[in-house]
Amino acid sequence: MPLDTSTYGLALLRVDGRRWNELRRIHAQIRTQAAADGSSYLEMGHTKVMCVVTGPSEPGPRRGAAGGAAGGGGGAGGQSKDAEVVVNIVIAGFSSVDRKRRGRGDKRTLEMQSTLANTLAATLHTHLFPHSQINISLHVLSQDGSLLAALINAATLACVDAGIPMTDYVTACTAGSTSTYAANDEGADPLLDLNHQEEQELPGLTVATLGDSDRVVALVCESRVQISRLEGMLAVGVDGCKQVREILDQVIKAQGQKMILEGTVDKGTGLNDMDLD
Amino acid sequence: MPITILPPKQTPQPSLPPHDIDSDSDSSSSNGGADLSLSPPSRKSHNNNNNNPLFTNLVTPGTLITPDPQWMRGHGTYIPPSHPHTIFSSLAGITTRTNKLISVTPLRSRYTPEVGDLVVGRIIEVQAKRWKVDINSTTLASLPLSAINLPGGILRKRTETDELQIRTFFSEGDLLVAEVQSLFQDGAAVLHTRSLKYGKLRNGLFVAVSGQSGGSGVVRSRRQVWTMEGRNGGGKMDVILGVNGYVWISKHVETIAKELEQKHMGITNMEENVSAGVYSSQNDGIDGGTMREMARLRGVVVALVENGCRVDEDMILRGYEEACEMALMMGEGGVEDVYLGGERGEELVRGLRGR
Repeated sequence: MPLDTSTYGLALLRVDGRRWNELRRIHAQIRTQAAADGSSYLEMGHTKVMCVVTGPSEPGPRRGAAGGAAGGGGGAGGQSKDAEVVVNIVIAGFSSVDRKRRGRGDKRTLEMQSTLANTLAATLHTHLFPHSQINISLHVLSQDGSLLAALINAATLACVDAGIPMTDYVTACTAGSTSTYAANDEGADPLLDLNHQEEQELPGLTVATLGDSDRVVALVCESRVQISRLEGMLAVGVDGCKQVREILDQVIKAQGQKMILEGTVDKGTGLNDMDLD
Repeated sequence: MPITILPPKQTPQPSLPPHDIDSDSDSSSSNGGADLSLSPPSRKSHNNNNNNPLFTNLVTPGTLITPDPQWMRGHGTYIPPSHPHTIFSSLAGITTRTNKLISVTPLRSRYTPEVGDLVVGRIIEVQAKRWKVDINSTTLASLPLSAINLPGGILRKRTETDELQIRTFFSEGDLLVAEVQSLFQDGAAVLHTRSLKYGKLRNGLFVAVSGQSGGSGVVRSRRQVWTMEGRNGGGKMDVILGVNGYVWISKHVETIAKELEQKHMGITNMEENVSAGVYSSQNDGIDGGTMREMARLRGVVVALVENGCRVDEDMILRGYEEACEMALMMGEGGVEDVYLGGERGEELVRGLRGR
């Protein structure tokens, strides 16, 4: 069923009842798998993603043999000075409405893997772990638009949980525009956080930023859109990323506070105690 | 391990965009609801975490720790090129200060080896003159052929014959206890087993728990190795807590040192009496009672970790007592009940904390 966007301008509400600048419900958890170095589970609306981080650890024995076939390799491979970030995405067959089997070599999946690997390799402090490898496996359990954004957010959470040093959170979200490219509507308004239906019909982009700065670390646009609309979409997307960062930060802090209350970590000596000596 | 996914909670209302929310009609078009201005980022200061004084030292990646140039940055922090002298956190963790050095201890991370650490490891790879050992660190540790005791305790240079027989000492999959002798530039550890305390492990079971910096897990402490009496008819047991989070629980076997003591031999020629048996991979017979108590001890270690407790000698000893009492309370056949997962583990830890 085609999405009727004619009401967007009038009712100011989208198909799922949100306004143009509202995110979907984000629910996130870290440390979902006790055996992993780092793990997370993230829901953005009905997009549900699970992430497991292994490492930094010694690269496996099949190094060199597989080369580029083994997912997206961020940074330089081989015995480099930096840790290698390897991302593996598995999209479950039951995750979308039409059951589709995606093989290992699916081009869209490979594209997302390399985007994610390059984004994280630029943000994680990989120079601290020479000759090692950081494995990030992502499982998509349910898809409802903004998949790449959800994957980036889940991977960030899992990396924080794994205690891998990074410059700042990498948070992502999508932005779109209320009318199609063909409509050539100059007055089209930007939309935040597209769902599946909107993603199918409307032009959209995925933007990832570093922390609460305006520094864009990843920008993916797979649809045709007039250049004049791009600025507005980008601005809305960057603003959405900041909102996402706040939510993810709360999740991490809640975990830290729980650990302090349980007494598993020390309170620490901080800057407030600094003038004592 | 099972995957735990909690039911969704009410999430906090996402903060509204900085712009006037009343103007969210579509007429606001191109300037959207966001700000792409190039003003310097408004980083949060460290003390807006919460009002609770307990949480003031909790930082997350990208948190500004201090803009003051007098502090030095330690682990878990960085200074971005754009803001010289300003220290930011790169980890989710707790700030710690040593004089003028500020570092962030992560809530959880892999084991980082330090010289002198007692570790339990597993041989992954055998090379010509060294073994590669998994010690739960970011890279494999290396154990050179020259850093082990030869059977018979002969002190001599390692020859080609030894190199050819390298698998008679340790082969792939063997467990060993060793000490970190030195560190490479990239943080990889070099191990040694040149003491009677160290060497190949047998007659026991292996438990991997999270490492030292993981909050819950093994902590560096005064005693990492001890012998304890098994209750309910179990024999003596040895426990080795590797700082890397690998734990070894085994049946206690009288060491050579003890034997020598009984024979009134000098400690000087102790090394010479290291028999070929130290590199044996053959387990001795273990009676059922000891096996049961070893399994119970393993249950205690796992329960402590699952419920976020530190793992050290004191906690394990108390936990073991508690577990034995719990088993007795179960009544009929209670002694046999060594299961300490799930609710029973929680009950055990509650008992420990209650005291």
